[in-house]
Amino acid sequence: MAAPRKLSMKQRYAALTRDLDWDLSYVDEDTAYPYTSFEGIKIHDWSKWEDPFRLTIDAYMKYQAEKDKRLYAVLDSFAQGQGHLQLTDPSYLNAMKLFLQGVTPLEYQAHRNFAYLARFLNGPGPRFAALCQSQDELRHAQTEIHTLSNYNKYYQGFHSWNHQHDRVWYLSVPKSYFDDAVTAGPFEFLIAIGFSFEYLLTNLLFVPFMSGASFNGDLPTMTFGFSAQSDESRHMTLGLEAIKFMLEQDPDNVPIVQAWIDKWFWRGYRLLALVSQMLDYMLPRKVMSWKEAFELYFEEQMLGGLFPDLAYYGITPPRHVEHAIAEKEVLSHQVYWTLYQFSFAAGFTTTVPSEDAQKWLAEQYPQTFEKLYKPLWDKASAVVDNGGRYFYQGLPQLCQVCQVPMLFTEPGDPTTICQRHTEFEGERYDFCSDGCQWIFEREPEKYVQAWLPVHQIYQGNCGGPTVPDVLAWYKLQPGDNGEIAGNVEQTAWEAWHATSSAEEQAPAPVAGN
Amino acid sequence: MQYELRTQVIEPRRKTFTNLTERYGDRPATRYEEGSVDVQATANFHYRPLWDPTHEIYDPEYSALRLTDPYSFVDPRQFYYAPYVTSRAHLHEAFASTLAYLENRDLVERLPQGWKDLVAQAVIPLRHYESGGQLIGAYGCRFGYGTTITQCLSYASFDRVGNAQLLSRLGISLDGGSDGILVSAKQAWMADADLQPLRKYVELLLVESDWAAQHVGLDLADQLIYGLLYTHLDETALLGGAGAYSLVAQHLSGWFTDNRRWVDALYAAWGRDPEHGAANKAELSALVARLLPGALEGALGVARIADRCLDAGAVAFVETRARALAAAFAPEES
Amino acid sequence: MTQSTRARQVGVDIQETEENRAVVEAIEADNADCAVRHMPGLVRITSPTRIVVNRESVEQRLGREWETHEFQLAIVSYFGHIAEWDDDQILIQWDH
Repeated sequence: MAAPRKLSMKQRYAALTRDLDWDLSYVDEDTAYPYTSFEGIKIHDWSKWEDPFRLTIDAYMKYQAEKDKRLYAVLDSFAQGQGHLQLTDPSYLNAMKLFLQGVTPLEYQAHRNFAYLARFLNGPGPRFAALCQSQDELRHAQTEIHTLSNYNKYYQGFHSWNHQHDRVWYLSVPKSYFDDAVTAGPFEFLIAIGFSFEYLLTNLLFVPFMSGASFNGDLPTMTFGFSAQSDESRHMTLGLEAIKFMLEQDPDNVPIVQAWIDKWFWRGYRLLALVSQMLDYMLPRKVMSWKEAFELYFEEQMLGGLFPDLAYYGITPPRHVEHAIAEKEVLSHQVYWTLYQFSFAAGFTTTVPSEDAQKWLAEQYPQTFEKLYKPLWDKASAVVDNGGRYFYQGLPQLCQVCQVPMLFTEPGDPTTICQRHTEFEGERYDFCSDGCQWIFEREPEKYVQAWLPVHQIYQGNCGGPTVPDVLAWYKLQPGDNGEIAGNVEQTAWEAWHATSSAEEQAPAPVAGN
Repeated sequence: MQYELRTQVIEPRRKTFTNLTERYGDRPATRYEEGSVDVQATANFHYRPLWDPTHEIYDPEYSALRLTDPYSFVDPRQFYYAPYVTSRAHLHEAFASTLAYLENRDLVERLPQGWKDLVAQAVIPLRHYESGGQLIGAYGCRFGYGTTITQCLSYASFDRVGNAQLLSRLGISLDGGSDGILVSAKQAWMADADLQPLRKYVELLLVESDWAAQHVGLDLADQLIYGLLYTHLDETALLGGAGAYSLVAQHLSGWFTDNRRWVDALYAAWGRDPEHGAANKAELSALVARLLPGALEGALGVARIADRCLDAGAVAFVETRARALAAAFAPEES
Repeated sequence: MTQSTRARQVGVDIQETEENRAVVEAIEADNADCAVRHMPGLVRITSPTRIVVNRESVEQRLGREWETHEFQLAIVSYFGHIAEWDDDQILIQWDH
């Protein structure tokens, strides 16, 4: 036998992945891959797709099993050692409640839709990359559930996350975002999730949550986060590879991709409004302000680093980005003020920021906090001092596209609420911003379908006509919602800590009851 | 001296998430249950797919086979991601050890010629069959209804690339580290008359619109092909001085046994469904009646190659197995 | 090399563990212009040009064989583009 040609890593990878594919001859390619033409993207050569990671299944299994072994060891020891008692404060968990209710179901949706790509992209390279990502996303959904499952045993707000994701008003913000992405075609999904979500905005979403966990004594979430992020770097690569691949395949793809970047930047940015208040208000021990995070992770890394790279292809920074930049001074304050007033109908709790917290906010936001937002908190404090708690009576109007209540202000004018509207087939639709209006006007047939929670409540589709009916339909339990101070969680927390400081006593009282 | 470990006793408020206590009563749930049951969204979808406005994002009507409660099916292996990847890490590690053992002792090289031919002409080309299975699993993962089902399909899809890679590594090993056999095996997959019925069957399965039809169709072919190559021929190998073949085959037959556990559990769940059970059984009978002839034809092609190489009663085995399958899925007499 | 008016950073975040210290040290040694910042639980390495991870440098410090695939157990995030990832080297830089 002649001396065999040994395969290099690259050849071996090709032999073990894309060479498994074959040219179909008993069915048409268009019948087998029916969804890659309607969006107008032109691909001439699928083999040009690069997979820098070159992971084969044996290596994937080995490393992923090792990562999960480490992660579950941390979860188990945290649970065994009652690690939850080491949190800075139980109110920290509001951030995690929002995460489980709002983000975990998105990871799950990503799992399912990357399977769609793993079936329907014509090229075996991207199909395999999508299949790996589909598996990873299932991992993330499940490890998040398992990480937060221990908190669910002792704290409120976690118990009905999946039921609530499909129903509760503020959760229609993340749900509609992802429903929008999975109902788009495969290429738009790659830009929406692979690129915009996993590359452009991922650090803004995950790093604050994970650093927040680390700063507030939440070791499991920090461990989970780092573990998930190691997969995320593969996903970021897929997203960047996807956009470059589309842009390089045909110049006609450039304007289509640009419009998707414009749309999905704004869609994702509006979703991150929930993260902004989490950073600035929900974390008892602060990590960094939204403004600082936005400047670092978006303005510096993306506008300064990524977009000059994409300029080579004729791609420009996203439309409406100037509004997002201008809004960084006011965003989190407006969002949290709204949540404060509506938290009687939420799966998390809110409170007036402490004196220290307000001092920190004033330092972080010297232009806006004391002038515009401190007076609101002073008023809310006065109500509390008189034995009350201010909740808004009624239901907010929601933006037809992002589904956030209409709480944002006019660009450059932080005291006037921004309202836009468009007539379509005789109906009026309202929007929170130029960005959302622009998105609607590109695809009105899509956005008129939106399941808007407030409309649904008015139509009687959410358990009944009264607030208690709706809250029961949400499966909210006492202590899930409303004010932090005096809530069952705080009471239980104080009792647990009183017990542990008074040496060994009888078992601590059961929370709540 | 003894240390007394003092920990605070705090009674948990609840044992698990509400959806699980509603289903199973007030008991702790497993990680499998927490990570699988009721995880997929079922209500209030915002938009219809642009590429299929006749369906919801997740829609039971993507299949004729239905479950009143999709979570009446659970994976008997209780695979969520962590145990799944752990199990497959072991599989691939064990396979690598086997391959290293065979290579160190030149055992692949010393296989009787008939067995070498069988591997090169019938076994290695099936890495493409596995790759077809990858697409079928991915399709089911997207369009199935309920996480317990789609999760199994997702792992099955990933397993198929894994199996394709096991076969590819065997091919590379058989060729002393190069890809010559993979190249000729692909040519055979594309052009060998005995492999065309199977390739045609797989390609036609890929364009079946019902994910369950794709899945059942693949299972029919699997039962014939895995039964032939990794069970029937494994016994022949042990008697015929081809121990090396058996060492390799054990990993694939082990995988197949593992995979059957959830596949059979799903058949059972379809059959016993209180509302759709009878319709499911009828639908399954019709599916098998429609698809089995193609699966049989495909597997017979592989069996003909095997009999040419070894005269191992392969065709007879496949025919017998196909008759058993037809009988098992035959419509019930009423 | 094209002239750029402003340095565009690339960066990588690595989980801070005993094992990963060798990786961080190897990167520091092989990338003269990089800056290293320690944050809770992670190390952020940035560079105005590019970041290269060499298998041999890591192995020297680790005292054992190290496949570049293992970098996936260490990496938390990055910005830039993974321009190369082969048996011997991982390279992060902007393309254009």
